[in-house]
Amino acid sequence: MESSRKQRWRQLQSVFEPGFSRMLLISLLLHILLPVLYFTPLFPKGEPLKPPVYRVNLVNKPVKNPQAGRPEAVATKKPAPPKPEPKPAPVKPKPLPPKPKPEPPKPEPKPIPKPEPPKPEPKPEPPKPKPAPKPAVKPKPEPKPSVSKAQENALQKRLEQLRKKAEQKQAEEDRKARLEALRVAAAAESQQIESPVKDAPVGMLDGKGDEAGVAAAEFVREYIQQQWSLSQYQISGSPEAEVLLFYSTSGALQHYRFLEKSGSSIFDDSLIRAINKSKQLNQPLPEAMEFHIVFNLKEMMDRR
Amino acid sequence: MKMIKYTWLLFSLWLLLSGSALAVKLEISAPGEQTIPLAIPPLQPMSLVRPEVAAEFQQVLESDLDLSGLFELVNPESFLDDAQRLGLRSSEVDFAQWRLLGAEALIKGGYQIEGEKLTLELRLYDAITRRLLSGRRYIGGLKDVRRIAHTFADQVLHSLTGEKGPFASKIAYISKRTGNKELYLMDVDGHQPLRLTAHQSIVLNPDFSPARKELIFTSYDKGNPDLYRKEIYTGRESRLSMKQGLNIGGRYSPDGREVALTLSKDQNSEIYLIGTDGTIHRRLTNHYGIDVDPSWSPDGHKIAFVSDRRGNPHVFILDVHSLEVVRLTFEGKYNATPAWSPKGDRIAFSRLEGNQFDIYTIRPDGTDERRLTFGAGSKEHPRWSPDGRFLVYSLEQAGKKTIHLMRADGTGSRKISPPGGNDSHPAWSGHW
Repeated sequence: MESSRKQRWRQLQSVFEPGFSRMLLISLLLHILLPVLYFTPLFPKGEPLKPPVYRVNLVNKPVKNPQAGRPEAVATKKPAPPKPEPKPAPVKPKPLPPKPKPEPPKPEPKPIPKPEPPKPEPKPEPPKPKPAPKPAVKPKPEPKPSVSKAQENALQKRLEQLRKKAEQKQAEEDRKARLEALRVAAAAESQQIESPVKDAPVGMLDGKGDEAGVAAAEFVREYIQQQWSLSQYQISGSPEAEVLLFYSTSGALQHYRFLEKSGSSIFDDSLIRAINKSKQLNQPLPEAMEFHIVFNLKEMMDRR
Repeated sequence: MKMIKYTWLLFSLWLLLSGSALAVKLEISAPGEQTIPLAIPPLQPMSLVRPEVAAEFQQVLESDLDLSGLFELVNPESFLDDAQRLGLRSSEVDFAQWRLLGAEALIKGGYQIEGEKLTLELRLYDAITRRLLSGRRYIGGLKDVRRIAHTFADQVLHSLTGEKGPFASKIAYISKRTGNKELYLMDVDGHQPLRLTAHQSIVLNPDFSPARKELIFTSYDKGNPDLYRKEIYTGRESRLSMKQGLNIGGRYSPDGREVALTLSKDQNSEIYLIGTDGTIHRRLTNHYGIDVDPSWSPDGHKIAFVSDRRGNPHVFILDVHSLEVVRLTFEGKYNATPAWSPKGDRIAFSRLEGNQFDIYTIRPDGTDERRLTFGAGSKEHPRWSPDGRFLVYSLEQAGKKTIHLMRADGTGSRKISPPGGNDSHPAWSGHW
């Protein structure tokens, strides 16, 4: 039985040329390589091609890492934007609060309950935590006469801490509310409805950085789009052109070149006019930047 | 084996580097401005000063370009001193001034008058790149100012769209201003109306020859609705089809060699093809329903027409070679007067909704139906401009008929028929 199977295998091998198995292996490896190559820059996925619709206020400063906010906010309060910046900073203490929470309460409650039986006292005691614990250990015998003062101090400290906690909570809630408002604003923005947020800080709707301003790329996109004039009655079909533009830090166009022309001289000429009008941006950029811009009429044709 | 390893390493390194060197990729999917800011400073005199000539030219040119929907005219009140200078050469124009005003296109010109002779020098510039887009010198009589303005407007459209405008063409129409329905001819803006017939009966449904300056129309001049042909410049007129019964709705084929029309010689309205000598070439429809209003596709292979073969009048498409008929419209109870666009992409027609007609367009495959007209009054008899950019139609309101123009998307509607008439059945000529 087995010998017949071997015989069949040998027969099968004799059908293929020598080295077939090696070729099969190479072919397999090449097939595996394909999906790997797919995720390299050689195969651009075009992810940044259609970002959410932004409305960038060209008065805002273009920055590298914009914070969350709305471009329109600048119109209501110009000095306001810097203020909100420090606000989010207090949010940083986030890591601090956890420290007092777990550490102090545990050691304190134990020693204090002994001298003071009343229930309300052990609670005010725990606040003592960090500063009090060590010195408190030594004067243990003395405290008795000054118990009320210590309690008062502890109470005050505890109250302060509670107040701080409440403030932090409030700040946290404010921040969350602001974020929620921003989310609502983003949704409203995308539906062309006026955003309900009136005092959101300058920034981008999805900003994650810490600079007051708008993303440089969005700024340039908005600026060039504003300079581009073309009538729907000039063009038929769906032309598309790709242009590479190099801007210096000062916002001056160093040079540009068409990576791909549209095939319509009317369309390409309108782009040249727009680029000529964008030779100098009205704001400097955070750094010298290179932009690969795809121009097409998808939105305009949608409206036809 | 080592070689393969090194190659693989180098390849990976290159991939990494090329990735980091990529520029920020952006997409701009619509222009910020969907009109072209255009400045038209007044024509400057090159000799004799005749401000009325410059003013008339300006008014006609601005009106044409406004109708095109392409432009936003820069407010003349903001013009700076370059607007008062004759300089027509690129080196003589202060483009910085025009850019300051936001103009992207600039039309400058001068006029010279010697007796009755008028010379116009006109330039269209790209104000951003300082490029001369079009330069023309027109010589004519003082009476030709309007015509020159229309012709230059066509040229401006050609320069900025790659396709000539229709402003220098003509519109034929039927008017009752003499008491009888007669055939008239006018400019695209309704000026210079000219009566072509004096039949003192009923004249209907004109159509221009694509090959010659002549028209066909139906007239009851001899008692029967016969098809006539008229040469515009000589005034020569002849009967082209005089079969018993109806000889109506004549439409020249795109090559001008045949005419499709409705004949009822066999007691039923059918569509026929006749030669330019009036002889019947073919019968195209054969149905007990009424078949009328033929309109050729620009390639000459198909004809849209109206038939009540499925009950109510609807638009159908007939293959001229196979005679196969396909129904185009299904909505509405009364669809009439189809007109195939010169680009072939849409068919305009009128539909009765309630108690009034409105203009619609539809793709020849029956998709993407769009209503173009709204508001009071019955809009009928749509016909395309030779470039397919505009539609002309008649509007009946409060018992009075007038002729209107609009863009092919239904915007920019304006009345063009001269005052004091009862005008209908417009037909747009080819490029004149």
